[in-house]
Amino acid sequence: MIEAIPFLLQGLGTTVIITFGSFLIGAFCAVPLALARLSDIAPLRWLATAYIEVVRGIPPIAWMLVLFYGLGRYVTLPPLLAACLALGAVSTAYLAENYRAGIQAVAGGQWEGAGALGLSKGDTFWRVIAPQGIGVALPPSASYAVGLLKDSAVASVIGVSDIAFRALTLNQQGNPGLPIFLAAGVVYMVVSVPMAVLARKADTFIRTRSAV
Amino acid sequence: MIDNQQKRTEGAAGTTDAQKAPQLQPKDIHKEFNGNTVLSDISLDVNAGEVVAFIGPSGAGKSTLLRCVNYLETPSSGDLLIDGKPTVKIASKPTRNELMNLRRQVGMVFQSFNLFPHISVLRNVALPQERVLGRSRKEAEERAMELLTRVGLGDKADARPSKCSGGQQQRIAIARALALDPEIMLFDEPTSALDPELGGEVLAVMQELAATGMTMLVVTHEMSFARRVSDRTVFMADGRIVEQGAPEQVFGAPREARTKKFLEAVLER
Repeated sequence: MIEAIPFLLQGLGTTVIITFGSFLIGAFCAVPLALARLSDIAPLRWLATAYIEVVRGIPPIAWMLVLFYGLGRYVTLPPLLAACLALGAVSTAYLAENYRAGIQAVAGGQWEGAGALGLSKGDTFWRVIAPQGIGVALPPSASYAVGLLKDSAVASVIGVSDIAFRALTLNQQGNPGLPIFLAAGVVYMVVSVPMAVLARKADTFIRTRSAV
Repeated sequence: MIDNQQKRTEGAAGTTDAQKAPQLQPKDIHKEFNGNTVLSDISLDVNAGEVVAFIGPSGAGKSTLLRCVNYLETPSSGDLLIDGKPTVKIASKPTRNELMNLRRQVGMVFQSFNLFPHISVLRNVALPQERVLGRSRKEAEERAMELLTRVGLGDKADARPSKCSGGQQQRIAIARALALDPEIMLFDEPTSALDPELGGEVLAVMQELAATGMTMLVVTHEMSFARRVSDRTVFMADGRIVEQGAPEQVFGAPREARTKKFLEAVLER
């Protein structure tokens, strides 16, 4: 088990890249998606809802296969990029729902108050609504990031050399499975536990900062 | 602004008094919610510096009327004139620019204060000035401080709104609206969420504001305030203006049976 760890640790960087890459994609793209979901324009709202439901309704591994093998006939993506894009698309859907909850949790009077003062829609959103909504959106988004770290293991199916892929390789080379996969679990925890702690810290910080 | 001042001087000189338009004129304001008529063709002339109190039972449409005056509620039809000019070309379809212009002239204070909880009291008053009027941060904060001092809350500038009492929060909300130099102020039940003592602080600030010559439209359940401070009291019921006049007349000698019934119920408590 101990001997396997250095080899597995080499996959840690890849796992972290997939996790942060796809989370970043999601964190950015979820903003317009959440706004579309709450838009006054009905077709925009339907499109956003459809995206969210379809993406969440199908397992991430399927998206990964579609993107890499399915589209592979037309564009060949490097596996690492394909993994980031697939999980990024999935993150977008989940994070958009968190953002939506955050936006909707802000009291309706805030929109009215800002509107009556003559603040533009953009100012109202970025300076009044978003800073308040983030307290609601952050905790579930942070736990989603931890989940994403573990979900990134599905990237091994398209040959990305992450922790899971390396564990699989060792196993296929004839090493006993149990200690190897346990070691892989430990390596995942090296990142996931600090991430969870950090998420809780950020949550506490935001809560005390905007304490009611 | 200059245009306005000119009008006032002209008015004072008495030369064009006859043609001078009232400062604010809702004309035939009609509002329906899903087929229910909430306001039926309300017209009203409000002169500069006038304090108009709106009283009446819940559901009379007082708040809706007030909210139509700054288009938080879009009227189904009618016109809204300021200084004799229509503020919105097509009443039911205001453009973004028309809304911005209207809201620069009309400030509003809500029953629920609607202060921004995530920023300090000072920033609450300064931020809209910076974003709406383009004032520098320094200029905006100076003006904010001046107004907070005027409503007696200079020492709360750095606190979060949640650290202030309800009465203080409402006074901050008044300062925030005044900081944008509105020509007309709307008050939508400003003391209804407050206990009588805290409400008193707010009413005192409003009375002071009225004395400075601000045009004010106040929806209120504070009968003594309406009676003491307003220049005109408007009694509304069922989406209509039932009766209006000097407060002594409306309270002392109401003409309409509906007004009498309401006042008896309210004043005998």
